[in-house]
Amino acid sequence: MLRRNRIAFSLSIAAAAIATLGTATIVRAQDYPTKPITLIVPWPAGGSTDISMRAIADAASKHLGQPIAIDNKGGGGGTVGPATMAAAAKPDGYTISQIPITVFRLPLMQEVSWNPDKDFSYIIHLTGYTFGITTNAESQFKTWKDVVDFAKANPGKVTYATPGAGTSLHVGMEQIAAMAGIKLTQVPFKGGAETNAAVLGNHTMLQADSTGWRPLVDAGKLRLLMVWTDKRSPNFPDAPTLKESGYPMVYDSPFGIAGPKGMDPKIVAKLHDAFKKAIEDPAVIATLAKFDMIPNYKNTEDYKKFVVEVTASERKVIESIGLGKK
Amino acid sequence: MDVLTNVFHGFGVALLPVNLLYCFIGVFIGTLVGVLPGIGPISAMSLLLPVTLSGTPESGIIMMAGIYYGSMYGGSTTSILVNIPGEAASVVTCLDGHQMAKQGRAGPALGISALGSFIAGTFALIALMLVAPKLASVAIAFGPAEYFSLMVLGLVVLTFLTQGSMAKALLMACIGIVLGLVGLDSITAQPRLTFGRIELIDGIGLVPVVMGLFGLAEVLINTEQAIKRDVINAKITQLLPNKDDWKRSAGPIGRGTLMGFFLGILPGGGAVVASFASYALEKRLSKTPERFGHGAIEGVAGPEAANNAAAGGAFIPLMTLGIPPNVVMALLLGAFVIHGLQPGPLLITQNPGLFWGIVASMYIGNAMLLVLNLPLIGMWVKLLKLPYNVLFPLIVLFTIIGVYCSSNNVFDVYVMIAFGIIGYFMRKFGYEPAPLVLAFVLGPLLENNLRKSLILSQGDLMTFVERPISAACLVLAAILLIVPMLPSLRRKRELVALDEGA
Repeated sequence: MLRRNRIAFSLSIAAAAIATLGTATIVRAQDYPTKPITLIVPWPAGGSTDISMRAIADAASKHLGQPIAIDNKGGGGGTVGPATMAAAAKPDGYTISQIPITVFRLPLMQEVSWNPDKDFSYIIHLTGYTFGITTNAESQFKTWKDVVDFAKANPGKVTYATPGAGTSLHVGMEQIAAMAGIKLTQVPFKGGAETNAAVLGNHTMLQADSTGWRPLVDAGKLRLLMVWTDKRSPNFPDAPTLKESGYPMVYDSPFGIAGPKGMDPKIVAKLHDAFKKAIEDPAVIATLAKFDMIPNYKNTEDYKKFVVEVTASERKVIESIGLGKK
Repeated sequence: MDVLTNVFHGFGVALLPVNLLYCFIGVFIGTLVGVLPGIGPISAMSLLLPVTLSGTPESGIIMMAGIYYGSMYGGSTTSILVNIPGEAASVVTCLDGHQMAKQGRAGPALGISALGSFIAGTFALIALMLVAPKLASVAIAFGPAEYFSLMVLGLVVLTFLTQGSMAKALLMACIGIVLGLVGLDSITAQPRLTFGRIELIDGIGLVPVVMGLFGLAEVLINTEQAIKRDVINAKITQLLPNKDDWKRSAGPIGRGTLMGFFLGILPGGGAVVASFASYALEKRLSKTPERFGHGAIEGVAGPEAANNAAAGGAFIPLMTLGIPPNVVMALLLGAFVIHGLQPGPLLITQNPGLFWGIVASMYIGNAMLLVLNLPLIGMWVKLLKLPYNVLFPLIVLFTIIGVYCSSNNVFDVYVMIAFGIIGYFMRKFGYEPAPLVLAFVLGPLLENNLRKSLILSQGDLMTFVERPISAACLVLAAILLIVPMLPSLRRKRELVALDEGA
């Protein structure tokens, strides 16, 4: 309570300050940016998200005329970085953060310090990952339909490996299972390396993961049954999408960037324009393609709407698989 | 003779001047980050990953690999000198290595760990060349049930780590397991023991725990003792291991190498289990097990060989299947990917120059490390002569920087300080930190694999005995537990018999 009062108090002070210094803010917004910008990437350095965000930030900084420094603040499944920003950073446009889907999902599962609807100024939606379902090349499952048929005859017998409980892969698989009217058994591993080993060694029947399986699919050791992207992936033209398989959805754990709440719309617009140009840059598109990521642009308004939609659909699934907040 | 042509081809790539340079930079940085406590290969590699983008894929990956095995060499240095393990795999080196340093034998301890590492690293590379593709199947033969049994075997090792009271060691192990529970439950994603703190969602970090319990606690306990230099008082007799040291170490290095190589192939915890298991094995085989924990050179040679061989073994699943067995390998995978390469079954055939070039460069890098490290031993030993009022603040400074660097998180620094204080009291009351660390690392793996196996077997416990690898691990664990009791039983019986006779 005390904390909330203090925040309310400082907010009212801030509001008063903005009111009196209104003219000064406008001047500042026009000059923005006059110093380097910090972009929080809530994942360890060197991972696929980090590398792709660095490429995007590098291109965006050219349009902004100021360098963008990456601050890797991992933890909490990618929520510690954005949460710290929401609690501590000034909404001056010099601290922004990558927003992974866990920022919307975790509040549905437990008490957290942030409110995804209110605590962020969403700027732009950038891209998402390519997820897919694979099975061992020697498996009896040749298509996704084989899996559904087998699962209908043997409820709960089909096991699938995910990179962790509560990840997009887990939530997505359960959503598919619910639509198909089948029951699958999740076996949560830690990360893509372990799920590859699990399905290769026939420990689980299926694997649901991002494209860490690519070399094994290329080598013919794993069979790709389905991808979860909007359109077929150019790297795997034979694998049908979710939509083609009869599930009207796209599941790609999308992400964008946001700042703390209360950012000047003019600054938001400047950042939006710079990052939009960045994801149109062929060099950036090429870097993203290495991780099977495709730009998925949404402007500030659409991104805000998307946050509401995603929260609603996630809530349903999270509750149906028993992960909802008690 | 296919292999030989390939090897020559590989050396052709690795001996290119630019690749030699990158290899040297890699092992040099690796040695540095290994020596600086806390700044491990992970932070160094992730920081330097973008730098490699400008060169060819070969040179970039050669440098990254150099940092990795270079840090394995360097990591033992701080364990021996100041009792700070840089990572879990060198925790066990502290037990006897630091004792040796206190007895003025830091030189031989550092020497045997460098030479043992070289021998193990060389063997691992030759094995990597000859059998890599065949051993790939080993990595995937291990499912959850096999891992569970392997972890049971690993925890049995606890009984060999203790020098004092077994009850206290078990208590420490229990605390280690409980600490390992903190964070999101890996099966259901429910937060456990996080007390609503978002920082604890991912659990307590290993680096702050280890640095606190070993490094900071060591400083605290030393400050309270009257400033008398046990290190300087003990005469530094020699810098390199003597004949007797070699005789004692030959067996441990050989066994450690084999064990490390095979356990290193397994994703997850292989190197840690290998180093602890090697220590246990040597203590068990030794005719004088009471010397362990008081500066036995076997207790340094075996585990050091094991963790370096494990570093070599770890390349097998990465290169042949694209499965990185640990975080460092995952970063290396990232290096491959940004160069547009996908390690996997096709890598060796599609890109032989790259594969064999990297393997050959690791061989060259190992030799460079030896040349680099042996002359440094004299310098490290001199470092111990620094006055305590300079050395201790430096150690504290480096542990804080190291912990902060590994996660960019101030919370972890607090965790480290807390564990430093806990470690201080543990030492005062005769509790050992090693069982706690082992249980902290293995506990969550044990739980997670137990639950996964039971999901897969639909609750049938027989799965652990029906699967051959799993059954073998469990039998071995049972033997390890029962056998040590037999001679002591016999001895007790003999004692009783003698008493009666008298």
